[in-house]
Formats: sequence, structure tokens, C-alpha cells
Amino acid sequence: MATQHSRAAARFMIAPSVILLLAWMLIPLGMTLWFSFLRYNLLMPGANPFVGFENYAYFLSDPTFITSLINTLLLVGGVLIITVVGGIGLAVLLDQPMWGTGIVRIMVISPFFVMPTVSALVWKNMFMNPVNGLFAYVAEVLGVPAFDFLTQAPLASIIGIVSWQWLPFATLILLTAMQSLDSEQLEAAEMDGASALSRFWYIKLPHLARAITVVVLIQTIFLLSIFAEILVTTNGGPGVASTNLTYLVYAESLLRFDVGTGSAGGVVAIILANIVAIFLMRMIGKNLDA
Amino acid sequence: MGRITLERVQKKFGDVEVIPPLDLTIEDGEFVVFVGPSGCGKSTLLRLIAGLEDVSGGEIRIDGTAATDLPPAKRGLAMVFQSYALYPHMSVRKNIAFPLKMAGMDEEERRRRVDRAAEVLNLTDYLDRRPGQLSGGQRQRVAIGRAIVREPAAFLFDEPLSNLDAALRVGMRLEISELHERLKTTMIYVTHDQVEAMTMADKIVVLRAGNIEQVGSPIDLYRRPRNLFVAGFIGSPKMNIVGGDLASRHDAAHIGVRPEHLDIVEDGGTFSGKVTVSEHLGSDTFFHVAVPGLDEPMTVRAGGEVGLRHGDTIHLAPQSHQIHRFDDNGLRIA
Amino acid sequence: MARAVSNRRMAINTGVAWVLAILIFFPILWTILTSFKTEATAIADPPVFLAFDWTLENYETVQERSNYFRHFMNSVVISVGSTLIGLLIAIPAAWAMAFVPGRQTKNVLMWMLSTKMLPPVGVLVPLYLIFRDYGLLDTRIGLVIVLTLINLPIIVWMLYTYFREIPVDILEAARMDGAGLSSEVLYILTPMAVPGIASTLLLNIILAWNEAFWTLNLTAANAAPLTAFIASYSSPEGLFYAKLSAASTMAIAPILVMGWFSQRQLVRGLTFGAVK
Ligand SMILES: Nc1ncnc2c1ncn2[C@@H]1O[C@H](COP(=O)(O)OP(=O)(O)O)[C@@H](O)[C@H]1O
Ligand SMILES: [Mg+2]
Repeated sequence: MATQHSRAAARFMIAPSVILLLAWMLIPLGMTLWFSFLRYNLLMPGANPFVGFENYAYFLSDPTFITSLINTLLLVGGVLIITVVGGIGLAVLLDQPMWGTGIVRIMVISPFFVMPTVSALVWKNMFMNPVNGLFAYVAEVLGVPAFDFLTQAPLASIIGIVSWQWLPFATLILLTAMQSLDSEQLEAAEMDGASALSRFWYIKLPHLARAITVVVLIQTIFLLSIFAEILVTTNGGPGVASTNLTYLVYAESLLRFDVGTGSAGGVVAIILANIVAIFLMRMIGKNLDA
Repeated sequence: MGRITLERVQKKFGDVEVIPPLDLTIEDGEFVVFVGPSGCGKSTLLRLIAGLEDVSGGEIRIDGTAATDLPPAKRGLAMVFQSYALYPHMSVRKNIAFPLKMAGMDEEERRRRVDRAAEVLNLTDYLDRRPGQLSGGQRQRVAIGRAIVREPAAFLFDEPLSNLDAALRVGMRLEISELHERLKTTMIYVTHDQVEAMTMADKIVVLRAGNIEQVGSPIDLYRRPRNLFVAGFIGSPKMNIVGGDLASRHDAAHIGVRPEHLDIVEDGGTFSGKVTVSEHLGSDTFFHVAVPGLDEPMTVRAGGEVGLRHGDTIHLAPQSHQIHRFDDNGLRIA
Repeated sequence: MARAVSNRRMAINTGVAWVLAILIFFPILWTILTSFKTEATAIADPPVFLAFDWTLENYETVQERSNYFRHFMNSVVISVGSTLIGLLIAIPAAWAMAFVPGRQTKNVLMWMLSTKMLPPVGVLVPLYLIFRDYGLLDTRIGLVIVLTLINLPIIVWMLYTYFREIPVDILEAARMDGAGLSSEVLYILTPMAVPGIASTLLLNIILAWNEAFWTLNLTAANAAPLTAFIASYSSPEGLFYAKLSAASTMAIAPILVMGWFSQRQLVRGLTFGAVK
């Protein structure tokens, strides 16, 4: 297949993508890195002196940073647990024969296609509102006092909303993986006397291991950057109770216009994401050889 | 016409030399089979001839004209791929007509040729189907149809039967042989199956690690294998090879005797041993005999009615003029 | 898997699955229903399910008060525009990497992927400043550029996984059959690649339509697509449930339908071929 002149043509065809992505990566990244060493506030025009690691020191020593870091981990971890466990359950269920599989599938995956601002607002107003929300009505029926979700448990509420959005993703991928399981393997296990539970534990779950890893890694990448859901529900509050790292950097940069500190926060966020990215890339890279 | 000559043709992938420089001539109208174990470079050699790979050195001539730098389409060759490589989005008719369309042939003539090819290949009823709706054997025929409509100087086949089941394979083998009888066009056929090679070829080229081990007619290779590798590769079951004292008695480093050239004798004989396994094929029976002092059991062919069992002791005598002798380097002596 | 299962098992599976599915789908269903209610019915206690006077007035009000259609078109232009440009750039690249793989192909692919791992917030400040300085803030073209770039790796990858499934044998057969580069592209590659390109297009439009970081941060009244427009309902308009629902329904309906058709592609596209 590969002959000399096709190689040259190939390079030429790949070049635009590479150049664009290279520019996209290097220019803003370089700027972020550069800004993170400057005292630079959009509200205070003038010289932007080089201040070394001052911004980092400021950003990292701010108690809000620790809170937001913990919130980020809780958000990511909480959503992962809910979606992976729920996703495995749903995948096992949907893999069974039943009537109306097509429609059930459509209903289950739908939340993934709802834009983040819509799902956040619908949950916030129509469900979680302590006066007119459906949950308030349910509480009334049950005779318990209405709960103000976004004030009393802001982070948990956001975890709930985001989990609703991502559960379909986990389900869909795990279901796809489940369906690639060779049915003869299950039949062999059945012949060997394995119960339904042992078949799940010893055959299905190990088969899903790889897909679960992929789900965890990919969701982590996206969940680290959750933003819109927080912006339209709590604005990071009350106080900083639902501020994650992404929201904190946004607030520093575009609400307080502190470019220097915002950039330092951005660099921290990049480092955090890269730790996850390395694992994910390894997995995908391995698959590329197969 | 389809005379193909390779002169010092060589192929490297990076630093790995897959085909060391080799010479080979394929005469017009010949049915040539490249045979050898998998990975020995058969496909690579075929693809070099086809022009799908660039040679790293040497010259390829087709009917006397230099073809080394011609693109595949200009070489006047047609190829049948192992996977058939049918165009999945085109009907059978369009698949077969594709090379004609590429050659700029008019619609009328295209139709005539496709119809004729379809008739020859029993595909007339399937012309409007897609490849996905055909059985393996039918797909194979479509691939052949696409090759023959072009009336090429030579056909190239890369393990065309390996995706078919055993019964179909025998049938297609005959069909391809008949096609060759009828068209008298040069065919180069790649296989790792020595039975296919023996039954179809006018000339067999045995390859090992990119080297030509021997070139000759099936009978030549069977009667006078040039070295131990060819001796072991051609013929089924394999030739029995014995070294040591027994061989030196014949002034050789190794001697070889085919299973069909061992006689079972009452007593005496050259080898004695116990039957370990007997395979009854009906017309023939193959006995595996463990002979003390030999590393591997010997195989002997006997008539279908011979009734020896596991554990029976038998005596074997090679037919004296059927002993192949090889020297230290594995090369045939005389 | 085709295996006779007792009707009882079927019935239990079906029951459990439907209950769960309806629960998961309920917020969407509720939003759609509410969009046809009057504001009063929307907050009625007890809530009304279906027995209400259906009305379209919310849809009209939303359009009149806020020029909804403009934002809808912003979404269309931005998502479709960025996808088409992305395809234009990515098709040749994916093509070359799938059919003429070189020593570096794998590294290039992995590197492209790594750009996708960059958290957007890491480059928020510089991008905001660049946009401000070049007058790209709150413009469609600005967003098209950003969305093209952030989704380019996914497009290249998806196309690459599709192209790689086209057997090289077939291309070689075409070349043996006398097809030149242009016939090869026209008669063989394009027809075989169309399904893959279509899937990529679909998934990418969905992703771009729902993108809610850059759209929120780089637009205001003028170029805001639906993601950003809906955010303006966060308060106090959000308390008008019927109107919020009407605006939301229109924002999610087209993409919901496209999403249903692209389930498989979604898996492939978002896992970069790691799960099929
Ligand atoms: N495109 C290629 N790049 C590198 N090595 C190759 C390539 N094609 C074949 N090879 C190597 O060349 C050798 C011969 O391959 P091939 O001709 O396909 O063998 P055969 O058809 O006899 O089984 C093998 O070791 C194979 O790994
Ligand atoms: Mg081969």
C-alpha cells in the first residue's frame, strides 16, 4: 500500500489538523503560564510586573482553594460512584430480554442529550425548589418539612443533577461492552454449574472491567470541568460550599478580573487533569496497537 | 501473453529483509504455485509482482518490458484477494464491471462481458445482489469474475481458498484448475497448503524465509526434493527423516523415506517398533511406529485391510531405490 | 443470546426496566408537559399530569419576549458550522493516517487526543483576552473557531476509527482494477466512508450544541446560543415554570432526536474506539 509519493501526500493532508491543534495548545497555554507569573488585574491597568510564584502562593494558600479542591474531588467521586454502580445495574438489566427494549433504551439515554444549563435549571426550579418544586410536594404528601436542596445541601444536589446527566453515558458504554461478551462463555459457565450471581461476578464483571475503567477515566476528564451546572444553580454558593476548581478559577479571572491568580489556578487545574489524562491515554494507546 | 521474470528482486521493510534478492521466471500460460509456511514471504512476493509494494531492488519484467516502476493498474495483471476484497456497496454486476469501467469501456461491451463471465462462473442469478448477500463460494466466484473480465496477462491469487470450508475448497480447486485449462492464461497462486500446490501446479516454487528452496514440477519435488526442508514440506504424511548410524550406513548425514515407501515385513527389516497410533482412512491405513533409538515415531502407509493394533510390534523395510540421502547441510546427495 | 425465556421472567424484566426508565426520563417528560400548561397550572398543588388545558402560549411568549429564534439560529450556526469546518480539516488527516500509516501516526493521534484533555479553564484567561482584543467576544465566528478546535480531536479520532475499518485489500483491489486516485476516492472510498462521516457529523453537532463552558463565557446577548440563553432563566424568570419549560423543550428536542439515532456512534466517539 505504502509507496513513496503517498507518504508525502499523507503528511500534507495531516498538516492542517496538526498545525491548528498545535497553535490551539501552545499559544493559550503559553499565555496562561506567562500570566501566572505576573501581577495582572484587569481592573488595575498599568504595568504587570513579574512576581514569580506569588500568584501560586496566593492561590494555593487561600482556604477557598482547599475547599474547592475537596469539592472537586467529592463531585467527581460522588458522580463516578453513582453512575458506575447505577450504570452496571442498568446495563445488566437492559441486557436481559424484555418487551420494548428500544423505547426503554431511548428513555434511559435521553438525559445525556439535555444541555447542561437546561438540566440544571429544570432540576433547580421544577424539582428542588422548596416552595413549588415537585420534591416539595412529595414532602408535603409525606408530611415532612420541605427541604431546600440547593441551600442546605448544595454540593450533594449538584452531584445528583450531574449524575442524572452522566448515568446514561455509563449505562450505554457498559451495555455495549456487555453485549460484546461471547454468549458461549456464559453458556459454558452455566454448564459448569455457575449460578446467575456467580456468572455476573466471575464472568460479566471481569469482562466489563476494561469498559468501567474507560468510563471512569473519560467521565473524570469531563467532571473535573463541570461549570454550567454550578453557574446556574448556586453560583458556587452558599459561600463557597459548591465551588469547584473550575468555578474558582472562573471567579478569580472573570468575576474578580485577577488574571494572574486565575492563570495560576488554571495551571493547577491543568496539572490535576493531566494526572488523570496519563492513565486514560495509556489505555487508549494500548487499544490502538490491537 | 504473460511471461514474468524477476531479476535480483529484493524487498525490505525498514531494516528487515523479507525477500533476499531472487531470480525467477514464469513462462506464459504456466500455473505456478508459491508454497511455504506462513510468514515466509509468499504474499509479499506476489504483491511485488502486482505492484502493490515497491521493490527494494531488482527488476520485474512482464512480457519483456520493464514493469518495475509501473503502477499496479498498468501491469495488466488481475488479482484475487484472500478476503475477496469485493466492493460491499456495489452489486455483483457492478463489482465485476468495475475494472472495465475504469478502462473506459462502453456500457454495451461491459454488459456483454459481465454476462459472459457470470455464465462461466454460474453467477447469472446473482448479478443484482450485494456481496453481503452471497455465500463464501459465491463471493469467491465474483472475485474471480472481476479478474477474468479484464483478460489480464496473468492472474494472481493470494490464498484464495483459505476462507472456505473443506468441501467447498476441493470444489473451487477444481474450478480454478478448469479455468486455467480453458483460458490458458498465466496464473500465480499462493498457498501454504502443499496439497493445493501438488494438485494444481505446473510448477511449484517452495519458499522459506524469502528464499527459493526449490523450483520444479510437483513430481520433481516429490521425487527429488533438493533439501531436507522441501523433503519435509512436500508430501503428506511427511517423509520420515533419520540421522545417525543408520544414515551413515548410506554414506549420508540424514536419510529420508516416505511412508508409502516403507514395506511391512514379517521379520528382519531395517526398523522395528511398536504401533502407537493407527489412522484408518478406509483405503489406506497410517501407522505411527515408535522405533527405539529414534526421536520421532515413523509413519508408514499400508493398505486399508491391514489390521494392526496399538502395541503390536512390526518390522519395516524401506524400498531400496526410494531412499533419499542428504548431507550435513541438509542438501540432497546425488 | 437468542434463547427462550419464560414469560414470567420477561414480564419481571420488562416491569422493572420500564419503571426505572420512566423515572430516569421523567424530568424530560415533565418539562415537555409543563411547557403546554399555563403558569398557574404549572405550579398547581397537587401537580397536574395530563388533565389540563393544553396551550401553546408559552412558546409564543418566549419568542416574543426574547427573540428566541435568534438564539436558536445561533446554536444551529455554531454547532453545524464548527462541525463542517472540523470535518473539512479532519477528513484528509484521518484518511491519511488510516491508509498511509507512518511511524509517527500513533504518536500524532495520541497527541491530538491529549489536547482534548486540557481543562478549558486552564486557557480561559488568555482566550478571553484574545477574544476581547480581536473583537471576537460575543460573535458567532469566534465560537465557531473555538468549538472547531476543541472538537477537532474527537472528529479526527472518530473518522480514523471508521476509516481504519475499510479493508486495505479493497483499495488495493481497486488499484489493480485500474482505478486512479480520483476514481478510487469517488467510487470506492467515499461510498464506503459516508456512514462513518455521517455518524461523526451527527455526534459532533450534538456535542457542539450542548457545549456550555465557552458559550457561557464568550457570549452575551448577541451571539448567545441556546445554552447561554437558557442560563438567563436562572433567576428570576426561572420561576415561570411554563415558559422555562417551553424554552427548554425547544432547546433540547432537536438534539434529543438526533441523539436517539446516534447511540452507537456516541460510544465509539466518546471512548475513542476503546469500547466498541
Ligand atoms: N507491510 C509490512 N511491514 C512490515 N513487515 C511486513 C509487512 N508485510 C509483511 N511483513 C513481514 O514480512 C514477512 C512475510 O510476510 P508475508 O509475505 O505476508 O508472508 P506469507 O504470505 O508467506 O504468510 C512476515 O514476517 C511479515 O511480518
Ligand atoms: Mg500471506
